[in-house]
Amino acid sequence: MDYVYHVLVMVCLYAILAISFNVVIGLAGLFALSHAAFYAIGAYTTAILTTQYGVPVLPALVCGIVLTGVIGAIAALPALRIGGHYLVVVTLALQIIVIDVLRNAQGLTGGPDGISGIPRLTLFGQTLSTPGSFLVLAAAVAAFVYLITHMLAFSPFGRALRAMREDELAAQSIGKNVVALKLIAFAFSAASAAIAGSLLAHYITFVSPQSFSIDETILVLAMIILGGTGNLFGAAAGAAILVALPELLKLMALPVGTADLLRNAFYGLMLILILRFRPEGIFPERYRYRLPESAKRAAGVLEVDAWTRPVRGEVTLAGNDLHKNFGGIVAANGVDLELRSGIVTGLIGPNGAGKTTAFNLLTGFLTPTAGRVSMRGLPLADRRPHRIVRSSIARSFQDLRLFKRMTVLENVLTAFPDQLGDRLWNVFLRPFAVRAQDHANMARALEVLDFVGLRDRAEQSADNLSYAEEKLLVIARLLATDAEVLLLDEPLSGLDPTTLDQVLPIVRRLAEQGRTICLIEHNLDVIREVCDVTAYLDGGKVLAFGKPEELMRDPKLVERYIQ
Amino acid sequence: MDLILQLLANGVSNGSQYALLGIGFGLIFGTTGIVHFAYGPVLAASAYVMWWLAASLGLPFPVALVLGVAFAGIAGVVAYLVLYEPLLARGSPSFVVLVASLGLFILVSNMMAVLFGTDAKTLSDISYGIYVLGDVVITGVQLVQIAVFVIIAVGLAIFLRTSAWGNAIRAVTDNVAMARIIGIDTRKVAIVVFALGSMISAIGAANILVRDGASTHIGFFAVFYAFISVVVGGVGSVWGAAIGGLLLGLVESAGMWKLPTEWQSTIAFMVLFVVMLWRPTGLLRGN
Amino acid sequence: MDRRTFLRAASSLVVVGLAGAAPAQEPDVYRIGAILSMSGATPHYGTVMSRGALVAVDEINAAGGIDGRKLELVIEDHKSGSTQAAVAGMNRLINVVKTPAVLSSFSGPTVAIAPISKEKQVFVLNGGGVSLKMIGVSPYMFHNRSLATDLAAAAVRRAKDRGFKRIAQIAGRSEFGDSVIAASQEVAKKLGMEVVATEQFAADATNIDTQVAKLRAAKPDVVLNWPTTPQAGLVVKRVREIGMEQPIISMEWTNEDTKLAGVASSNGVEVATDYFAPAADNPMGQRFYDEYKKRYGEEPDFYAANYYEAVQVIATLIRRTKAKGGDFWTGARLTEALWEDPAFDSVYGGKMTFQKNGVALKRVAILKVDEGALKLERFLPAQAD
Repeated sequence: MDYVYHVLVMVCLYAILAISFNVVIGLAGLFALSHAAFYAIGAYTTAILTTQYGVPVLPALVCGIVLTGVIGAIAALPALRIGGHYLVVVTLALQIIVIDVLRNAQGLTGGPDGISGIPRLTLFGQTLSTPGSFLVLAAAVAAFVYLITHMLAFSPFGRALRAMREDELAAQSIGKNVVALKLIAFAFSAASAAIAGSLLAHYITFVSPQSFSIDETILVLAMIILGGTGNLFGAAAGAAILVALPELLKLMALPVGTADLLRNAFYGLMLILILRFRPEGIFPERYRYRLPESAKRAAGVLEVDAWTRPVRGEVTLAGNDLHKNFGGIVAANGVDLELRSGIVTGLIGPNGAGKTTAFNLLTGFLTPTAGRVSMRGLPLADRRPHRIVRSSIARSFQDLRLFKRMTVLENVLTAFPDQLGDRLWNVFLRPFAVRAQDHANMARALEVLDFVGLRDRAEQSADNLSYAEEKLLVIARLLATDAEVLLLDEPLSGLDPTTLDQVLPIVRRLAEQGRTICLIEHNLDVIREVCDVTAYLDGGKVLAFGKPEELMRDPKLVERYIQ
Repeated sequence: MDLILQLLANGVSNGSQYALLGIGFGLIFGTTGIVHFAYGPVLAASAYVMWWLAASLGLPFPVALVLGVAFAGIAGVVAYLVLYEPLLARGSPSFVVLVASLGLFILVSNMMAVLFGTDAKTLSDISYGIYVLGDVVITGVQLVQIAVFVIIAVGLAIFLRTSAWGNAIRAVTDNVAMARIIGIDTRKVAIVVFALGSMISAIGAANILVRDGASTHIGFFAVFYAFISVVVGGVGSVWGAAIGGLLLGLVESAGMWKLPTEWQSTIAFMVLFVVMLWRPTGLLRGN
Repeated sequence: MDRRTFLRAASSLVVVGLAGAAPAQEPDVYRIGAILSMSGATPHYGTVMSRGALVAVDEINAAGGIDGRKLELVIEDHKSGSTQAAVAGMNRLINVVKTPAVLSSFSGPTVAIAPISKEKQVFVLNGGGVSLKMIGVSPYMFHNRSLATDLAAAAVRRAKDRGFKRIAQIAGRSEFGDSVIAASQEVAKKLGMEVVATEQFAADATNIDTQVAKLRAAKPDVVLNWPTTPQAGLVVKRVREIGMEQPIISMEWTNEDTKLAGVASSNGVEVATDYFAPAADNPMGQRFYDEYKKRYGEEPDFYAANYYEAVQVIATLIRRTKAKGGDFWTGARLTEALWEDPAFDSVYGGKMTFQKNGVALKRVAILKVDEGALKLERFLPAQAD
């Protein structure tokens, strides 16, 4: 039954495409439309190297993979820096250009005629000339790609990708280099598509530009949506369904002339209906995986006091004369702020005073128009946020920015600095070391959660937390960065007295360990209770600085602030 | 020398068409943030509607044109209400909305082939003049294309500057959250831009119908060029899309002066990469 | 649905698929496969080709089929050129439909199914694709459309006969366009003519202003218009619009082209092509023309004619093999029968003869478009280069 075998071979090839595309679409949350172009580059590289240069199959495959990865990375770089919908249009253009080049670079690609006579593969002395024999190889390769991608998805790297998808700013705030993450995800996905392309070339023994049109990308996209965005098994299942579906639709009696048009229309309609009624796909993303028992056993009590800086009162993070203009609006007008170790600094001031802007300037989320930021006297000029975190400065956001479609534990886990598995090569080359470290980190994450009182919630989705719990998780995530300087944007607002009583001691204890704490707060009682010093901001500059009680005795400030 | 002049003339006229399509697409994209791929099939469908009214029912072309434009406006709004709004309401990520519009694209273009047949649709009784200026030849359609673009671009710019709806649209384009705070009904604004944008696409569709005839696949390139025009020129302004479209037309035409013409689209889309590297937010909105 | 249920459902589907029927020696119905462009960017080809083939099938069945057994056409879609789709269709035709005879179209899909044709000994008859890549890839593959290169050579010779020296040519960027350009350049050189401009555009482009402007700037004596339908019409429209009055020689011209170019612009365009037109001395062509027009309300073009002709060829072959008996309904037997006498009645009138390379040689006609209709100027003798 060559026909069934052929269909199954196509299922395997499309499964490879769907799984690899799902890394970009589902895990990284990037929307690209050039997967068919990478499929094409993989197919053509193999075809050209084996037919024109007599290169053996395996080196040709490796060349195809590397070349496709590199082209993918280079082409997407400008758009990845900007993000958003730009990637869509750039990858769409890339798709058209690649097909154009295949059509026009006659000498190399055979032009519109394509390249025929691509050698068949041999496996253990057996030529894979029938669909049945090829299926064995195709299935093995598909399984291999599934395995590799599974390793990626469930590694710290994959976790960072999902964190970035959930909230790019928050991912940066815990030290993830989002441009690098996107680039690697994109290159990995492109390179995997090249594997499918290479298989296709050897299977059909002929490649031509028409086989890699944008419709192929859309088909693969449909497979992902149908199967489940972010779920690798779902992508493979989506591939199986959408390859088999047209074959099954042939059983429908349709008018001869328009049968295939109707089938295509049906496919478009199905795509819409799935998105409308089950947008998460048949197999929704699984992120609530069980916590290993070993991690639970290893988790002890967070030894916060082991982390102690000897010197107290030393200047750590400082901003001098920071200015920031947006068009005509002056958001910061010469902010001077020095934070000291072991000291909790409160930032108060009316709405629009520039408090959050000051945070953004100190943490690299905004570049100052003028002025300078330094850490222990060393300038932090022009550092992007994730680099600043590595200088041991971390911040939280007023609007929390949790990683919603991840577990509570994962929210904390992602924030640990210097994870082996943040680097993709470690995931593949040192899997056991990565795993061991990740289990140790899980135990630590449980300790952190225990510390803020969220241990029971560890395996639940961050989506399901109450507001107070979300605030606690923000603090836990911040703690996990192990940063020396912690900037908290309204960590206490909206909390009930009970939770406040729970959080305030945490903040004090952190300061006592010698960490530098700065928090934005409106509640003056809270300020009085937790802060050692307070800075009053208004009109984009620090108007007063001193002990909370002193500031609150200044009638001018009180008058302005109350108003 | 006459060749480059001719190429420039062609570039301006084709660029005007891209710019026109870009203005409509950009109005929707800039205001709602929706990548409305179904802009393409709406355009193609309105071309078919005009053809059907004019060729099969024998209505005069201006009447068919008006009805076709109205049809596109309604189709655009229906696409928004039936497809996009429910998805946005449940907080679907933007790519889900985008894939949905691709689904609509597939559905509509295949159904048009089923309903109207696969052959090209042309209007045989429309004739237009051909004008010779020195060595340059310009057809009536080309002139109309340029004129229509200028009129609509200026008209839309005035509308956006002076009318209440225009102000609301600009406010939403600038900052949706802020617009909501000051009491603008963003849903109504979305409906208005979908109607306006789609109607503009129908005028582009009329150009295509008269010039080259309509086929089921005219939508893809239309929406693609529109999208690129907007991104090259800068999202969120009429003039951005206009400049992007004209640039695309000129590069595609005059850029081929000394180059083999088969590389046309490659060269044109390279412009996109260059612009994105040099001015990532587009020519007009670069920071 | 959980994973396990899904896997179970999927595997049971495979089992159902595997348990197909065993092949029968003498079929109740002669199923002929066709892999055509039924959807995608250029579905119109699929429409006319399938119509042409269906007219032949119904005509043969109405006359009693082949000794009482009917023909049936099973259409697969290659989505305007996708090789994967073509291979899937081919496998389905062989394994599920169990046909040993397949009509194919477009060069890419035809090349893609060639290895299967060779391996499974499936008789393939292509009436649409024109690329040289299709020659010699399977001993069971034949072509009843003249090679584009032969037509191009004829068009250039025609230009020479009319006394032109400077030729400009325009083509789509497709396997068709490429092979034609190469062929015409060679012939032009041989005949001492100068090619002053060669322009190409993307295969699905509708905007060819730039190319036409460059044609005009080259100031040729004649424009050789190589694109297929509908761009052939588009080129003529643009060339006339931009004020070029030079004669145009096309290779393909259908009703679609006249529609696109407009009747006035089309007047005087010459076409060097496989000529299909009904005539009194061509009863087969007349029969086909009448039936097609009656059914579909429009005139058949030569694509429709080629696929009508292809089905007729296969029917003839079945009759021949059946007469000899044995396991006659196989690709190998059909091929053998073809080589016994490679001359067949052509819907174009007269006979066509399959040459050693598998391509049918037909006479080339020079036609002139006159008020939307194609008028015969003269025949050029069938000539193999």
